[in-house]
Amino acid sequence: MSQLAAFIKEKRQQKPILSMTHVVYGYPTVQESLDWMARLMKEGVDFIEVQFPFSDPVADGPSIVAACHKALEQDLDVDTCLSQIGKLARDYSDSRIVLMSYLNPMYRFGLDKLAKRAAEENIQGLILPDLPIEQAASYQAACASHKIDPIWLVTPVTPKDRLAMLAGQSSGFLYCVARSGVTGHSSHEEKSQKTPLDDYLAQIKQHASAPMGVGFGLRERSHIEQLMGKADIAILGSALLDAYNQGGQEAGVELLQTLFTD
Amino acid sequence: MKSENGFYGQYGGSYIPEILYSSQQQILNAFEEAKNDPAFLAELHKQWQQFSGRPTPLTYCENLTEHFGGAQIYLKREDLNHSGAHKMNNVIGQGLLVKRMGKKRVIAETGAGQHGIATALVAARLGLECTIYMGAKDIERQYPNVFWMKQLGATVVPVTTGAQTLRDALDEALRDWSSSHEESHYLIGTSCGCAPFPEMVAFFQSVIGDEVREQSVAQFGQFPDRLYACVGGGSNACGLFLPFLDDKEVEMVGVEAGGKGLELGEHSIRLSHDLGQPGIAQGFATMFLQDKAGQLQETHSIAAGLDYVGVSPIIAHLAETGRIKMTYAMDDEVINACTLLLKKEGIIPALESSHALAGAFKDAPNLPKASRIVINLSGRGDKDIFNVAKAVEDETFPQFLTDYLASYPTTATDKSNNTGEKA
Repeated sequence: MSQLAAFIKEKRQQKPILSMTHVVYGYPTVQESLDWMARLMKEGVDFIEVQFPFSDPVADGPSIVAACHKALEQDLDVDTCLSQIGKLARDYSDSRIVLMSYLNPMYRFGLDKLAKRAAEENIQGLILPDLPIEQAASYQAACASHKIDPIWLVTPVTPKDRLAMLAGQSSGFLYCVARSGVTGHSSHEEKSQKTPLDDYLAQIKQHASAPMGVGFGLRERSHIEQLMGKADIAILGSALLDAYNQGGQEAGVELLQTLFTD
Repeated sequence: MKSENGFYGQYGGSYIPEILYSSQQQILNAFEEAKNDPAFLAELHKQWQQFSGRPTPLTYCENLTEHFGGAQIYLKREDLNHSGAHKMNNVIGQGLLVKRMGKKRVIAETGAGQHGIATALVAARLGLECTIYMGAKDIERQYPNVFWMKQLGATVVPVTTGAQTLRDALDEALRDWSSSHEESHYLIGTSCGCAPFPEMVAFFQSVIGDEVREQSVAQFGQFPDRLYACVGGGSNACGLFLPFLDDKEVEMVGVEAGGKGLELGEHSIRLSHDLGQPGIAQGFATMFLQDKAGQLQETHSIAAGLDYVGVSPIIAHLAETGRIKMTYAMDDEVINACTLLLKKEGIIPALESSHALAGAFKDAPNLPKASRIVINLSGRGDKDIFNVAKAVEDETFPQFLTDYLASYPTTATDKSNNTGEKA
């Protein structure tokens, strides 16, 4: 079993659902983003999803886009990022860190080198939302040889046979996008939800060979409760960033507690 | 040009968020069916003719030819399309495809505004809802086009993220499409983006080169020796070049925007002088202007339609294999070429197209008198009136603007109704 899947399985014995919180590396500064990650792990989050910024994040909504652009006012370096979050991963060994970015900065860094360096820093999962599985053979091979997990996404509009294929190839965990659209609140709101969330998750579960994480649009305690028993991880992205922007770490922690404390 | 599974050499492909997979497959299938359906092609040609005025002429430029004393110079008059640019060829094609797929809304990105206008025109004619994303900076430079889009019933959304130009507009259009893919079609304006967009846009634009094949033989008994086109996204270049791809004796020259200089941020040269690097972004692999860390960079050109950070994967591939020779023209050379065409031939070229002119004018004197070159005049220059007036330092223009503003009936400074509201 993959390191991530084993970790999730063990943690799930004590918790009805695990938490994954998203942080943009370098926002508003590198040090502040690292402090924020440390604080979240101190507060007991199970996962941090660290987003390495890209200039053109097409799957993200306005909150995360603005944070990425702000972060990119500094020169950011993938290798340094990996070293820094690697240190956090060692300091807070009850939590795990996964790295998310878009393809281009990782492609420039080298996908094989990325898998190798991530493994060295105990970053056990990678998320690249604009790399489709059809183009990913060498990336998958690199991840396999360094024993880390490429995390794939499925969506409510993924065709059934494709969903079965993606779920079947899932490793670490499967990232289930809860709705159409980009991350967080945006002017582009989906008009209809065709499949109710419960049915969608049940459908995925039939095929998934790995645990399931659910993200996109989670903002309230009821959203988290709805996932219990149906998924393993609730992923908190833009809502946490919005809270952080409003009231710093304290506001972020308050939201976290509201969402994840019974 | 046929792709290998969406790839042209190492460029192209489909690198889109999973949420867009189904919509992309739908377009892939719809286009594959439509391009093999004689009824669709007949309707396409009918609309090209009846709505856009095709075929556009191939115009011999006697005065320019004499001026340079070299190659015989011809212009392919895409400026005479309805809407004043070649953009019309593609929007008519994709508009008909949207109807075929039964979608009700189109989304488009636009740089200079030419594609935005063309999309708004077709949307109005076909009864489609229309949302145009345009960089806030481009809106400033090309407000007259924005005005017409709104009058045509389109919603124009200013994009204020990043550099606020075409690339940011494209990102935002992709985000809209991610939420609205079930009822909306992303009507991309150039031969970029995920498969099958590069192939599809090139297919619809190839009417340009198809006509030149017939017209050149009819007018001077052979194919041209050389073709010139400006390269922003690459759609007018694909349109002129691709039908001649197998005619090895026909040379092709693509002209990029040299802008103000060769420092990063001052130009939009992606395909020569090692200024661009391979990358994967905005749904496809191509040569991008980017830094070492893979962050896309700002670009510049006097022509808003050319300052795109990437380029058609088809052009990138053909440039790499040497089939197309790439060059560039600087902002000041472009203004000179524009002015020369005005004075010598009585034609007002778009600043985008003036890059192709500038590239050709550099070569023309050194080419044999018996050789014939065709320059794609992809658009007309009426839209550039303010920028050209500024560039040629017209003395009367500021006074005209002052007087005009003084006599403007309402509160002309209220810009709030220009931003994202439906006209």
